[in-house]
Amino acid sequence: MEFGWTAVEQMHRERIRELLDDLLPPDWEQMSLHGPGSDEQTAFSKDFCAELASRNLLVPNWPRAHGGEDAEVWQQFILGEEMWAVGEPRGPQYMNINWVGPALMKYGTPEQLEKYLPPIREGQAVWCQGFSEPSAGSDLAALRTQAVPVDGGYRVSGSKIWTSYAGHADTCFLLARVPASHGGAQDKSGIVILLADMKSEGIQVKSIPALIGEGDIHEVFFDEVFVPEADRLGEEGQAWEIIMYALQHERVGVARYEFSRRILDRAVGKLKESGRWDDPSVQEKAGQALMLCEAARMLVYRIVDGKARDLPPDAYANVARWAIVLADNGVNDFLTENLPEGLLGEDPVQQAHHQRAIAAGVASGAAEIQLNLIARRWLELPSERTRT
Amino acid sequence: MNYGLTEDQQAVLSELERLIAGTAPDGHTEPEFAPYCEALDQELAQSGFLDIAREDGFGPLDAALVVECLARAPQIVEAAASALVGPALGLPVGLRPVALVEHDPLKPARFLPRAGVLLADLGDRVLQVTVDPDRVVPVDSLFAYPYGRLETLDGLETKDVADVATLRRRWRTALAAEAAGCMAGALALVVEHVKDRRAFGRPLGAFQAIQHRLAMAAETVESCKWLAFRAAWSDSEADAALAAAFAQKRIPQFAFDLHQFSGAMGLTLEFSLHLWTYRLRALSGELGGAAAQARQAALATWPEAAA
Repeated sequence: MEFGWTAVEQMHRERIRELLDDLLPPDWEQMSLHGPGSDEQTAFSKDFCAELASRNLLVPNWPRAHGGEDAEVWQQFILGEEMWAVGEPRGPQYMNINWVGPALMKYGTPEQLEKYLPPIREGQAVWCQGFSEPSAGSDLAALRTQAVPVDGGYRVSGSKIWTSYAGHADTCFLLARVPASHGGAQDKSGIVILLADMKSEGIQVKSIPALIGEGDIHEVFFDEVFVPEADRLGEEGQAWEIIMYALQHERVGVARYEFSRRILDRAVGKLKESGRWDDPSVQEKAGQALMLCEAARMLVYRIVDGKARDLPPDAYANVARWAIVLADNGVNDFLTENLPEGLLGEDPVQQAHHQRAIAAGVASGAAEIQLNLIARRWLELPSERTRT
Repeated sequence: MNYGLTEDQQAVLSELERLIAGTAPDGHTEPEFAPYCEALDQELAQSGFLDIAREDGFGPLDAALVVECLARAPQIVEAAASALVGPALGLPVGLRPVALVEHDPLKPARFLPRAGVLLADLGDRVLQVTVDPDRVVPVDSLFAYPYGRLETLDGLETKDVADVATLRRRWRTALAAEAAGCMAGALALVVEHVKDRRAFGRPLGAFQAIQHRLAMAAETVESCKWLAFRAAWSDSEADAALAAAFAQKRIPQFAFDLHQFSGAMGLTLEFSLHLWTYRLRALSGELGGAAAQARQAALATWPEAAA
């Protein structure tokens, strides 16, 4: 057991920090106020990710065969940690790298790989995730958007909601259900994954004004949208397996606690400057916020360690996700109580953190689902449906 | 970064588990508040596991692994201070059990009725007192540790040790590692209970209200454990305070929930949950409690010079 970094890992971290110093513009903090789905950050992410790509730092975790570097698991993770520490300048593209690309590599056809992977690894692709619907959020299997099989593909009708980045996305990783009238099963096996071109006729995107920043959440309407069969990922009936694979990558890859930790460090600096740090109750609350960040870090590291040592995945991702929700909110509560001026126009980074923290327990599935999964998979408690 | 156990660590823990299993209560023992396990204590003294931090190739992390493993067991023995505090303060091998106390050497201390030595944190120095068991007055309490106190230091061998910071740092790490083990032991007991116990036609553990709080308890156990191990590995002031703060902050809710899900059964000595929760409750108040540790963690992480 060892909790330190190797010299190579430390050098890698230093290299990324230096690069961030070079690449982030002076107004990055102000820009981060607009949120990762905003016009500004989306446009910036394309320049920034192209720079990372030119240094082999965009998709180093990918296999060489697909343009990556076969990088060590920890090297990729350190990259993500440093990106999150400064507010994730890869914007919407982090998810391409973490899970869209890997899901395509595992389940995509050669034609799909050729079409979709190059723009991702060049840092020019924006994807959105067409999962949630008005009546199917965390309960994903309840989705109702229909994909009716037609000659050469599918006609998609329905709507998605809470869709991040839809306003700028080129492609939607879309989940839809083949209706029973066309032979689709009514359970999870009736779902198909379609890689829908967002410029297709019949797609309408509506931004939903929200507390969490402009351009972050949308409603997406599909009105008889044609998606060619060639753009279906995997086979009919295979979607749930692919979703689980993708989510496994999605939830492991995000070092959100690092953003919380850095903003907490920053807040303490401000409290010292303004003379408020000497209050023992402020110190105590800062210590409590700190312990939540560090607990989340240790649990996330445990997941990454499992990947690095090629151990089978377990329910630790769910345990860590809960800890991350506590950390984001613990830091946010501390900041809101002790530095309220940050939310009164004085600190765009604090506001950006606040906006992410309040979504932490909701985005990517409600945190209560994580608690269900911890109960079931980690503690091996009986199902709620169990009757004697 | 590697969360896996080395072969040596695996061997140590495996042997330790064998010792624990070999000294487990037989089920016919009369329930007690704080049954000290002399058999396990002797096995530990002979095996040298509590001196592991002094061995070449081993260190405080290995000691913390031993402490956490022992605390998962229902048997109560003094291990944490012997394994983590004693070696750092240069106590001679075999001078144990070690009792710890703050401010006043005459205050009640855990394990004092069995202790060979008492270390008292007097603020500016550590007072090391060689304990004469005949001079210790046992103190009855609900806590699942044998407590005792000295009425006077007159006639006892004492000496001053300058290094208060080391005492406190290792005490915090020891406390966190022991709490992590106690939490794991308690949670395992209650998880089995809610799988077996049925109400309204299904196991208690099938109710979401219970599942969610036990899931939160599981996160508490895991976080506490890794923070404690990291603190032992780094042996840093900030990590130690952070680990102790986390453990102490979470203990009240953790203990409340686990007793709640055990119902009236959890209030009996027969059920044995108190063997872990009443160790935890005792630990929650040491070194000034969660607020003091959190402040210390903050001050060590963000020292004034770094302002």
